[in-house]
Amino acid sequence: MTSRWLTLLLMTRLLAAGVAVLLLVVHRVTAHDSTLVVVTIAFTAVTLAALAWVPRLQRSPVVWLVDGVGVLALVAASEDWRSPFYILMLTALILPSTALPFRRALAWGVAFTLGYLGVAVYTELDANTLESTIRLETITTHLMVPLVVVLALAYATDVLERLRGERVRSEQLAVESERQRIAWELHDSAKQRVHAAHLVLSALHGQLAGPQAELVGHALGELRAAGADMDTSVAELRMPLEGRSVERLLDERATELAPASEAEISVRGSVGELPAHVAAHAYRIGAEALTNAVRHGGAAHIDVMLSRNGSVATIEVCDDGRGLPAIRRPGSNGLRSMRARAETIGAALSIGPGAGERGTRVKLVVSTDFAERSTKP
Amino acid sequence: MIRILIVDDHPALRAGLTAVLRAEPGLVPLATAASVEDLWPALNRTKPDVIVLDYHLPADDGLVVCRRVKRAVPAPAVLLYSAYADASLTIPALLAGVDGLVSKSAPAGELYDAIRRVARGERVLPPISRELLDAAAARLQPEELPILGMMLEDTPPAEMAETLGLQPAEVTHRVDRMIKRLKVEIPAPRTVG
Repeated sequence: MTSRWLTLLLMTRLLAAGVAVLLLVVHRVTAHDSTLVVVTIAFTAVTLAALAWVPRLQRSPVVWLVDGVGVLALVAASEDWRSPFYILMLTALILPSTALPFRRALAWGVAFTLGYLGVAVYTELDANTLESTIRLETITTHLMVPLVVVLALAYATDVLERLRGERVRSEQLAVESERQRIAWELHDSAKQRVHAAHLVLSALHGQLAGPQAELVGHALGELRAAGADMDTSVAELRMPLEGRSVERLLDERATELAPASEAEISVRGSVGELPAHVAAHAYRIGAEALTNAVRHGGAAHIDVMLSRNGSVATIEVCDDGRGLPAIRRPGSNGLRSMRARAETIGAALSIGPGAGERGTRVKLVVSTDFAERSTKP
Repeated sequence: MIRILIVDDHPALRAGLTAVLRAEPGLVPLATAASVEDLWPALNRTKPDVIVLDYHLPADDGLVVCRRVKRAVPAPAVLLYSAYADASLTIPALLAGVDGLVSKSAPAGELYDAIRRVARGERVLPPISRELLDAAAARLQPEELPILGMMLEDTPPAEMAETLGLQPAEVTHRVDRMIKRLKVEIPAPRTVG
Protein backbone atom coordinates (compact mmCIF):
# COMPACT_ATOMS: atom_id res chain seq x y z
CA MET A 1 0.00 0.00 0.00
CA THR A 2 2.65 2.50 1.07
CA SER A 3 4.84 1.84 -1.96
CA ARG A 4 2.03 3.06 -4.23
CA TRP A 5 1.96 6.41 -2.43
CA LEU A 6 5.75 6.56 -2.34
CA THR A 7 5.74 6.23 -6.13
CA LEU A 8 3.29 9.11 -6.36
CA LEU A 9 5.55 11.16 -4.08
CA LEU A 10 8.66 10.34 -6.12
CA MET A 11 7.03 11.33 -9.39
CA THR A 12 5.37 14.53 -8.22
CA ARG A 13 8.32 15.74 -6.18
CA LEU A 14 10.79 15.19 -9.01
CA LEU A 15 8.45 17.02 -11.39
CA ALA A 16 7.84 19.85 -8.89
CA ALA A 17 11.56 20.22 -8.20
CA GLY A 18 12.17 20.41 -11.96
CA VAL A 19 9.50 23.12 -12.31
CA ALA A 20 10.98 25.07 -9.38
CA VAL A 21 14.51 24.92 -10.75
CA LEU A 22 13.31 25.94 -14.21
CA LEU A 23 11.38 28.91 -12.82
CA LEU A 24 14.37 29.99 -10.73
CA VAL A 25 16.67 29.81 -13.74
CA VAL A 26 14.34 31.40 -16.31
CA HIS A 27 12.74 34.13 -14.17
CA ARG A 28 14.95 35.78 -11.67
CA VAL A 29 12.95 35.34 -8.50
CA THR A 30 15.32 36.42 -5.75
CA ALA A 31 18.81 37.70 -5.33
CA HIS A 32 20.03 34.27 -4.24
CA ASP A 33 18.52 32.07 -6.98
CA SER A 34 21.62 29.93 -7.53
CA THR A 35 21.75 28.98 -3.84
CA LEU A 36 18.06 28.09 -3.96
CA VAL A 37 18.61 25.86 -7.00
CA VAL A 38 21.32 23.95 -5.15
CA VAL A 39 19.19 23.70 -2.00
CA THR A 40 16.18 22.49 -4.02
CA ILE A 41 18.14 19.75 -5.73
CA ALA A 42 19.75 18.69 -2.44
CA PHE A 43 16.46 18.73 -0.54
CA THR A 44 14.68 16.68 -3.20
CA ALA A 45 17.47 14.15 -3.48
CA VAL A 46 17.95 13.71 0.27
CA THR A 47 14.25 13.41 1.15
CA LEU A 48 13.43 11.00 -1.67
CA ALA A 49 16.50 8.83 -1.10
CA ALA A 50 15.88 8.61 2.63
CA LEU A 51 12.19 7.72 2.21
CA ALA A 52 12.87 5.16 -0.50
CA TRP A 53 15.72 3.40 1.32
CA VAL A 54 14.32 3.43 4.84
CA PRO A 55 10.63 2.47 4.52
CA ARG A 56 10.17 2.98 8.28
CA LEU A 57 10.57 6.73 7.74
CA GLN A 58 7.51 6.83 5.46
CA ARG A 59 5.26 6.31 8.46
CA SER A 60 7.08 8.57 10.90
CA PRO A 61 5.21 11.77 11.91
CA VAL A 62 8.55 13.39 12.79
CA VAL A 63 9.75 12.84 9.24
CA TRP A 64 6.51 14.31 7.86
CA LEU A 65 6.93 17.33 10.11
CA VAL A 66 10.56 17.90 9.06
CA ASP A 67 9.58 17.50 5.42
CA GLY A 68 6.65 19.93 5.83
CA VAL A 69 8.75 22.55 7.60
CA GLY A 70 11.42 22.09 4.90
CA VAL A 71 9.08 22.83 2.01
CA LEU A 72 7.51 25.79 3.85
CA ALA A 73 11.03 27.13 4.49
CA LEU A 74 11.73 26.91 0.74
CA VAL A 75 8.54 28.91 0.05
CA ALA A 76 9.61 31.47 2.64
CA ALA A 77 13.11 31.63 1.10
CA SER A 78 11.58 32.46 -2.29
CA GLU A 79 10.19 35.61 -0.64
CA ASP A 80 6.74 35.28 -2.21
CA TRP A 81 3.80 33.03 -1.33
CA ARG A 82 3.13 32.64 -5.08
CA SER A 83 6.30 30.66 -4.98
CA PRO A 84 8.06 28.44 -7.55
CA PHE A 85 8.07 25.93 -4.68
CA TYR A 86 4.29 25.83 -4.29
CA ILE A 87 3.80 22.46 -6.06
CA LEU A 88 6.85 21.03 -4.33
CA MET A 89 5.23 22.11 -1.07
CA LEU A 90 2.05 20.19 -1.89
CA THR A 91 4.00 16.93 -2.30
CA ALA A 92 4.82 16.98 1.42
CA LEU A 93 1.13 16.20 2.06
CA ILE A 94 1.09 12.84 0.28
CA LEU A 95 2.51 10.62 3.02
CA PRO A 96 0.60 11.98 6.03
CA SER A 97 -2.70 12.09 4.10
CA THR A 98 -2.44 8.44 3.10
CA ALA A 99 -1.00 7.04 6.33
CA LEU A 100 -3.19 8.77 8.90
CA PRO A 101 -6.82 7.88 9.64
CA PHE A 102 -9.26 10.13 7.76
CA ARG A 103 -9.99 12.74 10.44
CA ARG A 104 -6.39 13.06 11.57
CA ALA A 105 -5.29 13.43 7.96
CA LEU A 106 -7.71 16.35 7.58
CA ALA A 107 -6.38 17.89 10.81
CA TRP A 108 -2.86 17.57 9.45
CA GLY A 109 -3.99 19.32 6.23
CA VAL A 110 -5.54 22.22 8.17
CA ALA A 111 -2.40 22.63 10.30
CA PHE A 112 -0.24 22.62 7.18
CA THR A 113 -2.46 25.22 5.49
CA LEU A 114 -2.18 27.46 8.55
CA GLY A 115 1.59 27.05 8.35
CA TYR A 116 1.43 28.16 4.70
CA LEU A 117 -0.74 31.15 5.68
CA GLY A 118 1.92 32.07 8.24
CA VAL A 119 4.58 31.97 5.54
CA ALA A 120 2.36 34.07 3.27
CA VAL A 121 1.95 36.71 5.99
CA TYR A 122 5.71 36.64 6.62
CA THR A 123 6.55 37.14 2.95
CA GLU A 124 4.31 39.66 1.31
CA LEU A 125 0.67 39.41 2.34
CA ASP A 126 -0.46 42.90 3.32
CA ALA A 127 -3.42 45.31 3.20
CA ASN A 128 -2.62 45.87 -0.45
CA THR A 129 -3.25 42.22 -1.30
CA LEU A 130 -6.48 42.08 0.62
CA GLU A 131 -7.91 45.03 -1.27
CA SER A 132 -7.28 43.59 -4.73
CA THR A 133 -9.97 41.11 -5.79
CA ILE A 134 -7.67 39.16 -8.08
CA ARG A 135 -4.93 38.79 -5.47
CA LEU A 136 -7.51 37.88 -2.85
CA GLU A 137 -8.80 35.18 -5.16
CA THR A 138 -5.26 33.91 -5.71
CA ILE A 139 -4.45 33.61 -2.02
CA THR A 140 -7.78 31.85 -1.37
CA THR A 141 -7.01 29.32 -4.12
CA HIS A 142 -3.51 28.82 -2.77
CA LEU A 143 -4.96 28.13 0.66
CA MET A 144 -7.66 25.78 -0.63
CA VAL A 145 -5.45 23.53 -2.78
CA PRO A 146 -3.61 21.81 0.14
CA LEU A 147 -6.95 21.04 1.77
CA VAL A 148 -8.36 19.59 -1.45
CA VAL A 149 -5.22 17.46 -1.95
CA VAL A 150 -5.43 16.08 1.60
CA LEU A 151 -9.15 15.42 1.32
CA ALA A 152 -8.83 13.55 -1.97
CA LEU A 153 -5.88 11.42 -0.87
CA ALA A 154 -7.34 10.61 2.56
CA TYR A 155 -10.66 9.69 1.00
CA ALA A 156 -9.02 7.42 -1.58
CA THR A 157 -6.97 5.68 1.12
CA ASP A 158 -10.03 5.18 3.25
CA VAL A 159 -11.97 3.62 0.38
CA LEU A 160 -9.05 1.34 -0.57
CA GLU A 161 -8.69 0.25 3.04
CA ARG A 162 -12.38 -0.62 3.25
CA LEU A 163 -12.29 -2.53 -0.02
CA ARG A 164 -9.39 -4.56 1.27
CA GLY A 165 -11.31 -5.37 4.46
CA GLU A 166 -14.32 -6.44 2.42
CA ARG A 167 -12.19 -8.70 0.27
CA VAL A 168 -10.65 -10.41 3.30
CA ARG A 169 -14.13 -10.92 4.76
CA SER A 170 -15.60 -12.33 1.58
CA GLU A 171 -12.61 -14.65 1.17
CA GLN A 172 -13.18 -15.91 4.69
CA LEU A 173 -16.87 -16.45 3.97
CA ALA A 174 -16.04 -18.40 0.84
CA VAL A 175 -13.54 -20.58 2.71
CA GLU A 176 -16.08 -21.21 5.44
CA SER A 177 -18.90 -22.19 3.13
CA GLU A 178 -16.55 -24.48 1.23
CA ARG A 179 -15.60 -26.20 4.47
CA GLN A 180 -19.27 -26.64 5.29
CA ARG A 181 -19.90 -28.17 1.92
CA ILE A 182 -16.99 -30.62 2.21
CA ALA A 183 -18.08 -31.59 5.72
CA TRP A 184 -21.57 -32.20 4.50
CA GLU A 185 -20.50 -34.35 1.57
CA LEU A 186 -18.11 -36.29 3.72
CA HIS A 187 -20.85 -37.01 6.18
CA ASP A 188 -23.80 -37.35 3.92
CA SER A 189 -22.30 -39.39 1.15
CA ALA A 190 -18.94 -40.96 1.91
CA LYS A 191 -19.75 -41.95 5.46
CA GLN A 192 -23.10 -43.49 4.54
CA ARG A 193 -21.31 -45.70 2.02
CA VAL A 194 -18.81 -46.75 4.68
CA HIS A 195 -21.72 -47.64 6.97
CA ALA A 196 -23.36 -49.66 4.22
CA ALA A 197 -20.15 -51.54 3.43
CA HIS A 198 -19.56 -52.23 7.12
CA LEU A 199 -23.09 -53.52 7.54
CA VAL A 200 -22.93 -55.88 4.57
CA LEU A 201 -19.50 -57.20 5.55
CA SER A 202 -20.54 -57.70 9.13
CA ALA A 203 -23.47 -59.83 7.98
CA LEU A 204 -21.02 -61.96 6.01
CA HIS A 205 -18.64 -62.12 8.96
CA GLY A 206 -21.17 -64.11 11.03
CA GLN A 207 -21.26 -66.86 8.40
CA LEU A 208 -17.52 -67.36 8.10
CA ALA A 209 -14.98 -69.23 10.20
CA GLY A 210 -11.21 -69.52 10.48
CA PRO A 211 -8.84 -67.41 8.35
CA GLN A 212 -11.68 -66.06 6.20
CA ALA A 213 -13.47 -64.70 9.26
CA GLU A 214 -10.20 -63.17 10.34
CA LEU A 215 -9.77 -61.45 6.99
CA VAL A 216 -13.27 -60.02 7.01
CA GLY A 217 -12.81 -59.04 10.66
CA HIS A 218 -9.75 -57.07 9.61
CA ALA A 219 -11.70 -55.30 6.87
CA LEU A 220 -14.44 -54.46 9.37
CA GLY A 221 -11.88 -52.92 11.70
CA GLU A 222 -10.55 -50.78 8.86
CA LEU A 223 -14.05 -49.62 7.96
CA ARG A 224 -14.78 -48.67 11.57
CA ALA A 225 -11.53 -46.72 11.70
CA ALA A 226 -12.44 -44.97 8.42
CA GLY A 227 -15.80 -44.00 9.90
CA ALA A 228 -14.13 -42.62 13.03
CA ASP A 229 -11.61 -40.67 10.90
CA MET A 230 -14.47 -39.16 8.95
CA ASP A 231 -16.23 -38.12 12.13
CA THR A 232 -13.09 -36.34 13.26
CA SER A 233 -12.69 -34.60 9.91
CA VAL A 234 -16.32 -33.54 9.85
CA ALA A 235 -16.07 -32.13 13.38
CA GLU A 236 -12.92 -30.26 12.37
CA LEU A 237 -14.44 -28.87 9.21
CA ARG A 238 -17.67 -27.71 10.75
CA MET A 239 -17.64 -24.42 12.54
CA PRO A 240 -19.18 -25.41 15.83
CA LEU A 241 -19.63 -21.80 16.90
CA GLU A 242 -22.02 -20.65 14.18
CA GLY A 243 -21.84 -17.04 15.15
CA ARG A 244 -21.94 -17.63 18.89
CA SER A 245 -19.18 -16.16 21.00
CA VAL A 246 -16.35 -18.19 22.52
CA GLU A 247 -17.22 -17.05 26.04
CA ARG A 248 -20.87 -18.01 25.67
CA LEU A 249 -19.96 -21.48 24.46
CA LEU A 250 -17.42 -21.98 27.24
CA ASP A 251 -20.06 -20.88 29.71
CA GLU A 252 -22.46 -23.44 28.23
CA ARG A 253 -19.77 -26.09 28.43
CA ALA A 254 -19.20 -25.18 32.10
CA THR A 255 -22.93 -25.55 32.77
CA GLU A 256 -22.88 -28.98 31.11
CA LEU A 257 -19.91 -30.09 33.18
CA ALA A 258 -21.11 -28.61 36.46
CA PRO A 259 -23.29 -31.57 37.55
CA ALA A 260 -20.35 -33.94 37.12
CA SER A 261 -17.99 -31.78 39.10
CA GLU A 262 -17.36 -30.84 42.71
CA ALA A 263 -15.65 -27.65 41.61
CA GLU A 264 -17.11 -24.20 41.37
CA ILE A 265 -16.65 -23.08 37.77
CA SER A 266 -16.62 -19.43 36.75
CA VAL A 267 -16.33 -18.03 33.24
CA ARG A 268 -15.47 -14.33 33.00
CA GLY A 269 -14.48 -11.79 30.37
CA SER A 270 -14.63 -11.84 26.61
CA VAL A 271 -12.26 -12.37 23.70
CA GLY A 272 -14.34 -10.14 21.43
CA GLU A 273 -14.77 -10.93 17.78
CA LEU A 274 -12.39 -13.46 16.21
CA PRO A 275 -12.18 -14.92 12.70
CA ALA A 276 -14.43 -18.00 12.59
CA HIS A 277 -11.76 -20.69 12.38
CA VAL A 278 -9.67 -19.04 15.11
CA ALA A 279 -12.74 -18.84 17.36
CA ALA A 280 -13.52 -22.51 16.66
CA HIS A 281 -10.04 -23.72 17.61
CA ALA A 282 -9.78 -21.37 20.58
CA TYR A 283 -13.08 -22.66 21.90
CA ARG A 284 -12.04 -26.31 21.47
CA ILE A 285 -8.76 -25.66 23.32
CA GLY A 286 -10.61 -23.87 26.12
CA ALA A 287 -13.26 -26.59 26.34
CA GLU A 288 -10.61 -29.32 26.46
CA ALA A 289 -8.72 -27.51 29.24
CA LEU A 290 -11.98 -27.09 31.17
CA THR A 291 -12.90 -30.75 30.72
CA ASN A 292 -9.46 -31.84 31.90
CA ALA A 293 -9.72 -29.62 34.98
CA VAL A 294 -13.10 -31.17 35.85
CA ARG A 295 -12.13 -34.79 35.12
CA HIS A 296 -8.60 -35.02 36.50
CA GLY A 297 -7.92 -31.90 38.52
CA GLY A 298 -9.76 -32.66 41.77
CA ALA A 299 -10.17 -28.88 42.07
CA ALA A 300 -12.44 -26.78 44.29
CA HIS A 301 -12.38 -23.80 41.95
CA ILE A 302 -11.96 -23.58 38.21
CA ASP A 303 -11.62 -20.11 36.67
CA VAL A 304 -11.93 -19.47 32.97
CA MET A 305 -10.78 -15.95 32.11
CA LEU A 306 -11.05 -14.40 28.68
CA SER A 307 -9.62 -11.08 27.59
CA ARG A 308 -8.86 -9.04 24.53
CA ASN A 309 -6.21 -6.38 24.10
CA GLY A 310 -6.13 -4.89 20.62
CA SER A 311 -5.50 -7.77 18.24
CA VAL A 312 -4.42 -10.15 21.02
CA ALA A 313 -6.96 -12.50 22.61
CA THR A 314 -6.19 -14.53 25.72
CA ILE A 315 -7.99 -17.49 27.27
CA GLU A 316 -6.82 -18.76 30.65
CA VAL A 317 -8.12 -21.82 32.48
CA CYS A 318 -6.86 -22.12 36.06
CA ASP A 319 -7.71 -24.66 38.74
CA ASP A 320 -6.52 -25.31 42.28
CA GLY A 321 -6.49 -29.10 41.98
CA ARG A 322 -3.78 -31.74 41.96
CA GLY A 323 -1.92 -30.25 39.03
CA LEU A 324 -0.35 -31.99 36.09
CA PRO A 325 0.84 -35.55 36.66
CA ALA A 326 4.64 -35.88 36.70
CA ILE A 327 4.31 -38.75 34.24
CA ARG A 328 2.02 -38.36 31.26
CA ARG A 329 -1.13 -40.41 31.43
CA PRO A 330 -0.94 -43.00 28.71
CA GLY A 331 -2.98 -42.01 25.68
CA SER A 332 -3.42 -38.41 26.72
CA ASN A 333 -4.44 -37.25 23.28
CA GLY A 334 -6.06 -34.17 24.76
CA LEU A 335 -2.90 -32.19 25.38
CA ARG A 336 -1.44 -33.15 22.04
CA SER A 337 -4.53 -32.07 20.14
CA MET A 338 -4.62 -28.80 22.10
CA ARG A 339 -1.05 -28.06 21.00
CA ALA A 340 -1.83 -29.00 17.41
CA ARG A 341 -4.84 -26.68 17.38
CA ALA A 342 -2.82 -23.85 18.87
CA GLU A 343 -0.23 -24.32 16.15
CA THR A 344 -2.91 -24.24 13.46
CA ILE A 345 -4.05 -20.78 14.47
CA GLY A 346 -0.54 -19.54 15.31
CA ALA A 347 -1.34 -19.22 18.99
CA ALA A 348 1.00 -19.58 21.96
CA LEU A 349 -0.18 -22.27 24.38
CA SER A 350 1.39 -22.74 27.80
CA ILE A 351 0.40 -25.51 30.17
CA GLY A 352 1.92 -25.58 33.62
CA PRO A 353 1.37 -25.26 37.34
CA GLY A 354 -0.86 -22.44 38.56
CA ALA A 355 -0.10 -19.58 40.95
CA GLY A 356 1.98 -20.70 43.93
CA GLU A 357 2.82 -23.99 42.19
CA ARG A 358 -0.72 -25.24 42.89
CA GLY A 359 -3.16 -26.67 40.39
CA THR A 360 -2.89 -26.26 36.66
CA ARG A 361 -2.87 -23.22 34.47
CA VAL A 362 -3.54 -23.38 30.72
CA LYS A 363 -3.00 -20.14 28.85
CA LEU A 364 -3.74 -19.52 25.19
CA VAL A 365 -2.63 -16.30 23.52
CA VAL A 366 -3.67 -15.70 19.93
CA SER A 367 -3.15 -12.70 17.72
CA THR A 368 -5.79 -12.01 15.09
CA ASP A 369 -3.18 -10.32 12.90
CA PHE A 370 -1.51 -13.64 12.34
CA ALA A 371 -4.83 -15.30 11.75
CA GLU A 372 -5.76 -12.81 9.06
CA ARG A 373 -2.45 -13.24 7.32
CA SER A 374 -2.65 -17.01 7.45
CA THR A 375 -6.03 -17.13 5.72
CA LYS A 376 -4.69 -15.29 2.71
CA PRO A 377 -3.53 -17.47 -0.13
CA MET B 1 -41.48 -63.71 10.21
CA ILE B 2 -40.86 -60.02 10.84
CA ARG B 3 -41.97 -57.63 8.13
CA ILE B 4 -39.71 -54.60 7.79
CA LEU B 5 -39.90 -51.18 6.12
CA ILE B 6 -36.64 -49.33 5.56
CA VAL B 7 -36.55 -45.52 5.54
CA ASP B 8 -33.23 -43.94 4.64
CA ASP B 9 -32.40 -41.14 2.22
CA HIS B 10 -29.12 -42.68 1.14
CA PRO B 11 -29.28 -45.25 -1.71
CA ALA B 12 -26.13 -47.15 -0.65
CA LEU B 13 -27.54 -47.70 2.79
CA ARG B 14 -31.00 -48.69 1.55
CA ALA B 15 -29.46 -51.27 -0.77
CA GLY B 16 -27.08 -52.54 1.91
CA LEU B 17 -29.80 -52.85 4.53
CA THR B 18 -32.17 -54.63 2.16
CA ALA B 19 -29.49 -57.15 1.14
CA VAL B 20 -28.39 -57.78 4.69
CA LEU B 21 -31.90 -58.19 6.09
CA ARG B 22 -32.98 -60.44 3.21
CA ALA B 23 -30.06 -62.73 3.96
CA GLU B 24 -31.19 -63.22 7.56
CA PRO B 25 -33.82 -65.91 8.12
CA GLY B 26 -37.03 -64.66 9.71
CA LEU B 27 -36.56 -61.06 8.56
CA VAL B 28 -38.35 -59.77 5.47
CA PRO B 29 -37.61 -56.33 4.06
CA LEU B 30 -40.84 -55.41 2.30
CA ALA B 31 -40.07 -52.00 0.90
CA THR B 32 -37.81 -49.01 1.15
CA ALA B 33 -38.59 -45.31 1.30
CA ALA B 34 -36.16 -42.52 0.59
CA SER B 35 -38.17 -39.72 2.16
CA VAL B 36 -41.09 -38.92 4.40
CA GLU B 37 -43.35 -38.51 1.33
CA ASP B 38 -42.52 -42.05 0.20
CA LEU B 39 -42.97 -43.40 3.71
CA TRP B 40 -46.77 -43.01 4.03
CA PRO B 41 -47.82 -44.90 0.89
CA ALA B 42 -45.30 -47.63 1.70
CA LEU B 43 -46.58 -47.83 5.27
CA ASN B 44 -50.22 -48.14 4.17
CA ARG B 45 -49.40 -50.66 1.47
CA THR B 46 -47.14 -52.96 3.46
CA LYS B 47 -48.31 -52.65 7.10
CA PRO B 48 -44.86 -53.58 8.46
CA ASP B 49 -44.08 -54.87 11.96
CA VAL B 50 -40.89 -52.83 12.25
CA ILE B 51 -39.69 -49.61 10.63
CA VAL B 52 -35.94 -49.15 10.42
CA LEU B 53 -35.83 -45.36 10.40
CA ASP B 54 -32.87 -43.09 9.66
CA TYR B 55 -32.50 -40.23 12.14
CA HIS B 56 -31.58 -37.66 9.58
CA LEU B 57 -33.99 -37.33 6.68
CA PRO B 58 -34.08 -34.49 4.13
CA ALA B 59 -37.30 -32.82 5.29
CA ASP B 60 -37.80 -34.00 8.85
CA ASP B 61 -35.79 -35.78 11.48
CA GLY B 62 -36.53 -39.33 12.55
CA LEU B 63 -38.01 -38.25 15.87
CA VAL B 64 -40.75 -36.14 14.29
CA VAL B 65 -41.49 -38.92 11.81
CA CYS B 66 -41.61 -41.48 14.63
CA ARG B 67 -44.18 -39.40 16.55
CA ARG B 68 -46.40 -39.39 13.48
CA VAL B 69 -45.88 -43.07 12.69
CA LYS B 70 -46.81 -43.96 16.25
CA ARG B 71 -50.24 -42.35 15.79
CA ALA B 72 -51.07 -44.89 13.06
CA VAL B 73 -53.21 -47.88 14.07
CA PRO B 74 -51.80 -50.45 14.41
CA ALA B 75 -48.49 -48.65 14.99
CA PRO B 76 -45.35 -50.51 13.90
CA ALA B 77 -42.31 -50.77 16.16
CA VAL B 78 -39.76 -48.10 15.30
CA LEU B 79 -36.05 -48.76 15.32
CA LEU B 80 -34.07 -45.55 14.99
CA TYR B 81 -31.02 -46.30 12.92
CA SER B 82 -28.61 -43.43 13.19
CA ALA B 83 -25.05 -42.36 12.69
CA TYR B 84 -25.60 -40.22 15.79
CA ALA B 85 -26.71 -43.02 18.08
CA ASP B 86 -24.80 -41.55 20.98
CA ALA B 87 -26.14 -41.28 24.49
CA SER B 88 -27.53 -37.75 24.05
CA LEU B 89 -30.12 -39.06 21.58
CA THR B 90 -31.57 -41.55 24.09
CA ILE B 91 -33.93 -39.26 26.02
CA PRO B 92 -35.41 -37.45 23.00
CA ALA B 93 -35.80 -40.83 21.28
CA LEU B 94 -37.65 -42.20 24.28
CA LEU B 95 -39.95 -39.17 24.36
CA ALA B 96 -40.70 -39.64 20.66
CA GLY B 97 -41.78 -43.22 21.31
CA VAL B 98 -38.82 -44.88 19.61
CA ASP B 99 -38.63 -48.57 20.51
CA GLY B 100 -34.99 -49.12 19.73
CA LEU B 101 -31.84 -47.22 18.95
CA VAL B 102 -29.05 -48.77 16.88
CA SER B 103 -25.92 -47.12 15.60
CA LYS B 104 -25.16 -47.27 11.89
CA SER B 105 -21.69 -48.46 12.81
CA ALA B 106 -23.00 -51.51 14.72
CA PRO B 107 -22.41 -54.94 13.16
CA ALA B 108 -25.32 -56.68 11.43
CA GLY B 109 -25.79 -59.12 14.31
CA GLU B 110 -26.66 -56.31 16.65
CA LEU B 111 -29.17 -54.95 14.14
CA TYR B 112 -30.89 -58.38 13.71
CA ASP B 113 -31.08 -58.73 17.45
CA ALA B 114 -32.56 -55.26 17.94
CA ILE B 115 -35.16 -55.84 15.19
CA ARG B 116 -36.27 -59.11 16.78
CA ARG B 117 -36.53 -57.57 20.24
CA VAL B 118 -38.53 -54.48 19.19
CA ALA B 119 -40.81 -56.76 17.14
CA ARG B 120 -41.54 -58.67 20.40
CA GLY B 121 -42.45 -55.35 22.03
CA GLU B 122 -39.22 -54.83 23.96
CA ARG B 123 -37.33 -51.57 24.28
CA VAL B 124 -33.74 -51.51 23.01
CA LEU B 125 -32.38 -48.24 24.35
CA PRO B 126 -29.07 -47.52 26.05
CA PRO B 127 -29.37 -47.04 29.84
CA ILE B 128 -30.10 -43.46 30.90
CA SER B 129 -27.32 -42.25 33.16
CA ARG B 130 -27.64 -39.69 35.93
CA GLU B 131 -25.41 -37.29 33.96
CA LEU B 132 -27.61 -37.59 30.88
CA LEU B 133 -30.75 -36.95 32.87
CA ASP B 134 -29.25 -33.85 34.51
CA ALA B 135 -28.14 -32.49 31.15
CA ALA B 136 -31.63 -33.05 29.71
CA ALA B 137 -33.35 -31.49 32.74
CA ALA B 138 -31.16 -28.40 32.38
CA ARG B 139 -32.53 -27.83 28.87
CA LEU B 140 -36.20 -28.22 29.81
CA GLN B 141 -38.68 -25.88 31.50
CA PRO B 142 -39.53 -26.72 35.15
CA GLU B 143 -43.15 -27.56 34.27
CA GLU B 144 -41.94 -30.10 31.72
CA LEU B 145 -39.99 -32.16 34.24
CA PRO B 146 -43.03 -34.13 35.57
CA ILE B 147 -43.80 -35.17 31.98
CA LEU B 148 -40.20 -36.34 31.53
CA GLY B 149 -40.44 -38.31 34.76
CA MET B 150 -43.68 -40.03 33.75
CA MET B 151 -42.42 -40.77 30.24
CA LEU B 152 -39.35 -42.43 31.74
CA GLU B 153 -41.71 -44.56 33.86
CA ASP B 154 -43.62 -45.51 30.69
CA THR B 155 -46.86 -43.93 31.93
CA PRO B 156 -49.70 -44.18 29.37
CA PRO B 157 -50.66 -40.80 27.82
CA ALA B 158 -54.20 -40.85 29.19
CA GLU B 159 -52.94 -41.33 32.74
CA MET B 160 -50.40 -38.54 32.27
CA ALA B 161 -53.10 -36.15 31.10
CA GLU B 162 -55.24 -37.02 34.12
CA THR B 163 -52.38 -36.64 36.62
CA LEU B 164 -51.38 -33.25 35.19
CA GLY B 165 -55.00 -32.09 34.80
CA LEU B 166 -54.46 -31.40 31.10
CA GLN B 167 -56.20 -32.31 27.86
CA PRO B 168 -54.46 -35.25 26.06
CA ALA B 169 -53.87 -32.94 23.07
CA GLU B 170 -52.04 -30.50 25.34
CA VAL B 171 -49.81 -33.29 26.67
CA THR B 172 -48.97 -34.32 23.11
CA HIS B 173 -48.15 -30.73 22.25
CA ARG B 174 -45.87 -30.39 25.28
CA VAL B 175 -44.03 -33.61 24.50
CA ASP B 176 -43.45 -32.36 20.95
CA ARG B 177 -42.00 -29.18 22.36
CA MET B 178 -39.73 -31.11 24.73
CA ILE B 179 -38.40 -33.24 21.87
CA LYS B 180 -37.62 -30.07 19.93
CA ARG B 181 -35.65 -28.70 22.87
CA LEU B 182 -33.70 -31.88 23.47
CA LYS B 183 -32.93 -33.15 20.02
CA VAL B 184 -29.47 -33.30 18.60
CA GLU B 185 -28.94 -30.59 16.03
CA ILE B 186 -27.29 -31.60 12.82
CA PRO B 187 -26.15 -28.52 10.95
CA ALA B 188 -27.19 -28.52 7.33
CA PRO B 189 -24.80 -27.17 4.70
CA ARG B 190 -25.04 -23.42 4.51
CA THR B 191 -25.73 -21.91 1.15
CA VAL B 192 -23.98 -18.70 0.28
CA GLY B 193 -26.38 -16.06 -0.96
